[in-house]
Amino acid sequence: MDKEQIYAVIKKHLLENVEDLQEADIDPQKSMKDYGANSLDIIEVVSCAMRELNIKIPRSELAEIKTIDELTNKFVANSSVES
Amino acid sequence: MDNILDYSLADFQFNDNPDVLAPPEDFETWINDQRISYCFSFFEQQLLRAPRSSTEILSNLDGQKRKVINLTSYNYLGLSSHPEVIQAAHEALDRYGLGASGAPLLSGTFDVHVAFAKKLAEFKQKEDCLLFSNGLAGNMGAMQGILRKGDVLILDEKCHKSLVDGGTLSGAKMLFFEHNNVDSLVMMLEKSRGKRVLVAVEGVYSMDGDLVKLPEVVAACERYRAAIYIDEAHSTLMFGPNGRGVAEHFGLEDKMGVTFGTFSKSFGGVGGFICSNARLIRYLKCYSSPYHFSCAPSPVLVAGLMKALEVATRDSSLRDKLWENVRYMKRRLLDLKLDLAGTESQVIPIIIGSSGEKLFQMATQLQQRGLFLQPVDFPAVPAHARRFRISVSSQLTKEEMNEACNIIEDVVVAGLKK
Repeated sequence: MDKEQIYAVIKKHLLENVEDLQEADIDPQKSMKDYGANSLDIIEVVSCAMRELNIKIPRSELAEIKTIDELTNKFVANSSVES
Repeated sequence: MDNILDYSLADFQFNDNPDVLAPPEDFETWINDQRISYCFSFFEQQLLRAPRSSTEILSNLDGQKRKVINLTSYNYLGLSSHPEVIQAAHEALDRYGLGASGAPLLSGTFDVHVAFAKKLAEFKQKEDCLLFSNGLAGNMGAMQGILRKGDVLILDEKCHKSLVDGGTLSGAKMLFFEHNNVDSLVMMLEKSRGKRVLVAVEGVYSMDGDLVKLPEVVAACERYRAAIYIDEAHSTLMFGPNGRGVAEHFGLEDKMGVTFGTFSKSFGGVGGFICSNARLIRYLKCYSSPYHFSCAPSPVLVAGLMKALEVATRDSSLRDKLWENVRYMKRRLLDLKLDLAGTESQVIPIIIGSSGEKLFQMATQLQQRGLFLQPVDFPAVPAHARRFRISVSSQLTKEEMNEACNIIEDVVVAGLKK
């Protein structure tokens, strides 16, 4: 799965979990928090995306990630290892 | 799962096992790993005596009984085993029997419940008080009873799970602000304009031991006309000139819309309470589920707690002794050049860092040396700041504190240098 597809999955779950967010507004260089996601929303987005992508990354490795793009890259790296 | 030590309890919340009565399969693999089982062996170790500053445990490490200096129990003022408290509970047991045998609205309200709630309301300088059988349920029940869908709950990101769970249950929108960062709070208040807003903070934050920046929080909330809920679980009976808590310490009690306290820490029992205006308390008696639908707290416990309140507030001797011990412990630990994370209270963390392995090695050695000081691991605290957390008690003697610090020096200071 390439980066574009992984980003699409993250974006889909972000839109499902954050109120009043439009797809066109999402800038991957920003944090989910910038769009009003609280820590529980972020757990939901990350967990649902990992489940759909069939990847598993320890939370301790995700704690320092700041932006949606960094999260996508982390998923890309783990996705290629898994497949 | 080849990197098993990188996983934690943060990774298994979601469960897609087709069998609804089974945990996630990878959770089973993880928790049955010998190294993880070892870490879990620190949980649920049995205390064989009262949680005094010296007590006895049945160690899960080797199955042996071990006499220990206790730096872990929340018995901050030693009230769980105070002779007058025990006597009051004994007398109540003879008079009332073991339990309340009913929900408060039907048959669970005894004279001691009414008297104790009245004393607590007077103590906290509020109009009325609601008692809960369980502290976590108190916070949850307050959030669930006060807030509705369409409301906004703004919480400090380090607020306790009970407040978060209560917020979830209420259906209110939850916004978290950066810990003790008033600019971040203001951003959230700005986003919530036009809504009913409750801001939740804690007097003492339980993992770092720091205080809420209450004057700044109050100023921001007044600007946006938001109500404040303060959780004084780790500060009631200890902070302020009269022990009423951190709001008293800052001289801002009248600005607190609701004040919460627990009975499981300085009071030495179990349960929780909220104090607020009489109209809200009357409403919550009807709509806060953990109050309305649970059995009332045992009258034995309530009689003991009422005596604990009296003992702790008739003079300042217990809290004076506590602060003397806190100052002594802090000085000794700072002399050892340990990172205490800016604590301002009787909760003193010792930051170990990112290595879980190191944390549990040290935890083992501390216990083998006779110190009951539990490790706190991710996700309870950030992965880069795993720690030990000391709960200082007024019961600690100078000898116990010296011995504890010697053990910490031999194990923790030496371990951090490796």
